[in-house]
Amino acid sequence: MSSIQQYLDLFASQRTLLDEGCGLDPLNARRDEAARMLDATGLPGRRTERYKYTDVEAALAPDYGLNLRRLAPGADPYARYRCNVPDLHTRLRYVVGDVVTPERTDGNDGGEGVQVLTFAEAERTMPGWLDRYYHRAAARTPDGLTALNTLLAQDGLVVRIAAGTQAATPVQIVNMADGTAPLMSNRRVVVVAERGAAGAVLFCDHARSGQPMLTTQVVEAYVEEGASLDLYSVEETHTANTRFSHLYVEQQAASRTALGTITLTNGLTCNRTDVRLLGQGATTSAYGAAIADGHQHVDNNLLVDHAAPGCTSDLLFKYVLDGAAVGAYAGKVLVREGAQQSLSEQTNANLCASDEARAFAQPMLEIYADDVKCNHGSTVGKLDESALFYMRQRGIEEHEARLLLQHAFVNDVLRRVGIGSLRERLSYLVEMRFRGRLTKCNGCSLCK
Amino acid sequence: MLEIKNLHASVEGKAILKGIDLTIGDGEVHVLMGPNGSGKSTLSNVLVGNPKYTVTEGSITFNGKDLLALSPEDRSHEGIFMSFQAPVEIPGVSMTNFMRAAVNAKRKYFGREPIGAAEFLRLLKEKRKLVGLDAHFMSRGVNEGFSGGERKRNEIFQMAVLEPSLSILDETDSGLDVDALRIVAEGFNALRTPQTSAMVITHYQRMLDYLHPDFVHVLVDGVIVKNGDASLGYAIEERGFDWIKNELKA
Repeated sequence: MSSIQQYLDLFASQRTLLDEGCGLDPLNARRDEAARMLDATGLPGRRTERYKYTDVEAALAPDYGLNLRRLAPGADPYARYRCNVPDLHTRLRYVVGDVVTPERTDGNDGGEGVQVLTFAEAERTMPGWLDRYYHRAAARTPDGLTALNTLLAQDGLVVRIAAGTQAATPVQIVNMADGTAPLMSNRRVVVVAERGAAGAVLFCDHARSGQPMLTTQVVEAYVEEGASLDLYSVEETHTANTRFSHLYVEQQAASRTALGTITLTNGLTCNRTDVRLLGQGATTSAYGAAIADGHQHVDNNLLVDHAAPGCTSDLLFKYVLDGAAVGAYAGKVLVREGAQQSLSEQTNANLCASDEARAFAQPMLEIYADDVKCNHGSTVGKLDESALFYMRQRGIEEHEARLLLQHAFVNDVLRRVGIGSLRERLSYLVEMRFRGRLTKCNGCSLCK
Repeated sequence: MLEIKNLHASVEGKAILKGIDLTIGDGEVHVLMGPNGSGKSTLSNVLVGNPKYTVTEGSITFNGKDLLALSPEDRSHEGIFMSFQAPVEIPGVSMTNFMRAAVNAKRKYFGREPIGAAEFLRLLKEKRKLVGLDAHFMSRGVNEGFSGGERKRNEIFQMAVLEPSLSILDETDSGLDVDALRIVAEGFNALRTPQTSAMVITHYQRMLDYLHPDFVHVLVDGVIVKNGDASLGYAIEERGFDWIKNELKA
């Protein structure tokens, strides 16, 4: 029996509880379609191109509990957890499991034009708004994991950056996996950067429990004409954590996005990113770094769709793999007919520090326009032995020299992080990770 | 200071050094000359413990210690420095971080605390001046985007910071224009003390002019075939290596 059956059975038997616990029409109205799709096609298997490197069936097979009754976390999350970056002031919001906890302020913009609301709050204060955006971008490319999330999601967060707003304070969403038993969380986020707006959202994933935790996450980001949006995702969880994350981005003319994905500690991570460049002159920079050892598994899969002329995409992903870790990267840049003067760069580089570590690299281009400039490349290798020896000749211990070289390799990606204090913090965390002082996440070391 | 006896070494299974005997005393400058492929760079690399080279026979004693038993790092700490013929680029590792790691590694070896921030910056500034290396190089990656001349100057800068007792200059003069060569050589001379020694590999008379070596050795096919003073170097500059090879045949 396929792993999906337990979720479909649960849905069939608990439908009323699910709908009532959620109480949101835009979410409840889309469950049947998701169930039909999952029933008909099941979960994506290894033969599905975008899930070639991750065994979804096995990842979803264990019996995880769900928080159907929407039990709120017992303790005040702002007191229990701490996640902040030194010298970085953010609008902070905790999500424990998939329960969004109240903001310490009123959730409104504080004069900055940025709203951070739960789906329920959005429905109440902006009737009809959520329905316009929820599951619109995500529905364009049918995906089994997104369908599973849509089937079971009960709440989520809205980040709305009003037209023309230049938000100085990033929004920080801290996802905390916590609990005394295996738990599945289904998170959902809708980000809208309206015309000419600019802002940043930082997602931090942490685990406070050593229990197996399964997360499905769907983030939809709509970037309107001339808007600018930076999204950062930092994962620092636990080897017992499984995360399926799907980011859908739709960009209008002259918009810009920077999408960063950093995996420091995890169990199994499968990130899907779909960027649709729909308006002329839209640009996106998608970058990521992963450090994995033991049996960690990191799979980043990107699809950038140049659907309008004059758009630019720049993809850079780097992995450092040790132990028996698996790192997979697949990036496809699709240039549609008529998307003339598209520019695209794509680089994937992997360092394998052990013989058992495996890197899968698949950079792809699919081009239907004739006036474009697109490059892609990939490397898998070991540390530069001549650089290593040069450093040792200067007295730097071999272990330290390796660490410096690996750190430099990853820093090349971190250079793209637009917020200086975050960049420095990440660089520090990467160093700690390489030094083996960040082997598991107990709360959040972003702040300690 | 350094005593090499009957040294044989190979690289990738091919014998390169075939019985080197060489003694370098305190404060001495030795110049090693020889045609391409004669083993000069191999000897340098063996001295600093490059793992690509295998010693098959012989011994090296450095200040009474068995050099071959030491790791490359420990050889560095003990006072051996090599200015590389082709210094490598290390993108992303800034010169400052690189030098701090090197300085602190040596201090740790001798049981000393890491260097203080202010003292470290003073040290870098003082040594940079010696070779005319601009401050902005310190924030760049090691040799990243450095010209050939800047790389060689950077080697002497590192030597100045680490204060070795034995410096090996592997064709540090190659690829330098006359001004750069003067700066590098003067920088090197400024660091000389009665206790510091050097082994210099060069093809050019100009280097002899600047360094005033005490000894010149000629290496042919993995063995030292002729020893002399600076005049031997000038003779080679004038007559090439063939007369020595012909002498050997005779």
